[in-house]
Amino acid sequence: MLVGLLILSEYIFLEPYVVGHIPSGTEFRFVLIVMISALSALVLPMNIFRINILKKSKQKMGGGVFGSIIGAAAGACSCGPIGFAVISTFGSVGATATAFLTNYEIPIRIIAIGILAITYFTTVKSLKTECKFDSNS
Amino acid sequence: MNKLGVILGVIVIAIIAGAAASLSALPSETVNLDMGRTHGTISTAMGSPILGDPSAPITIVEFGDYQCHQCYNWFQNTKPAIVENYIETGKANLVFVDLAFLGRDSPKAAQASYCAEDQEMYWEYHDILYNFQDSKIDGGWANSERLKAFASNLELDMDLFNSCLDSEKYSKRVQYNIQQARDHGVRGTLGFFIVGPDGQGQLGGAQPFSVFKQVLDKMV
Repeated sequence: MLVGLLILSEYIFLEPYVVGHIPSGTEFRFVLIVMISALSALVLPMNIFRINILKKSKQKMGGGVFGSIIGAAAGACSCGPIGFAVISTFGSVGATATAFLTNYEIPIRIIAIGILAITYFTTVKSLKTECKFDSNS
Repeated sequence: MNKLGVILGVIVIAIIAGAAASLSALPSETVNLDMGRTHGTISTAMGSPILGDPSAPITIVEFGDYQCHQCYNWFQNTKPAIVENYIETGKANLVFVDLAFLGRDSPKAAQASYCAEDQEMYWEYHDILYNFQDSKIDGGWANSERLKAFASNLELDMDLFNSCLDSEKYSKRVQYNIQQARDHGVRGTLGFFIVGPDGQGQLGGAQPFSVFKQVLDKMV
């Protein structure tokens, strides 16, 4: 996810050479992308483990997936190929949606980090409870 | 005699009217475009004037949008080094072609740049648009009033500029440029074509100067 977002946000270029580049003034955006990716990498596998191994509800997974998707979508469909495809396909509706995601990229990413952080702590809490050994049995 | 007088009178009036009409035609009504101008496979006839030496061996064709943040990043971080090292030294020149797709103000801003070109201030206007770019797409920073204010800052003839912008004189020019971008597979801004003596290459995105340097040095 991290590499994908960094490519979409033009921090990494693959052609004609593989090169990383953080333009001045975009450092905060870069940090937000790293935080979203790190939290997604923690939250999503933990919830998949909960659902698959412990057969628990998928409710908490929803928060993690939602946070990851909106965090990734914000800013990712700006001037690049995704934004161009969305606007070309959906016209003015696509342009409005793209403009919204671009204009509010930073607040949306901060909200996504908040959702992922809450999901992380609630998942950790529930895993501690669900994985506790019953010493009496 | 009377008939002859009437006929002569009509002819004189017609000549005076014709002369008055031609004198009152604004300079902006004539568009001096080299319709045959191409760089590589790209028709840049409707694009910007050439920045730098027109006979430079390399041409950088930039497809951009005035509301695009990546274009702003490239304009601020990479373009100055390219201008200093390649354009001012005569090794390369640059043509800007609009891919104005991001919002309703994007085509208007592109049209405004050509209205400034009518008064030979294209690049000054281009620079002012990027320097004053706001973080919000269609947030009002490039609406008609602001575009006129930018022109006023450059001390352009406002009657000419306003009539050009309000009449959407360059609407089709901008559409033509967008079509050029689509025809050449540019899917988003920024997009570059580096056209040299031995062919052309494509670069996508606001890549750093080091990448341009490697590509351009191979061609020089």
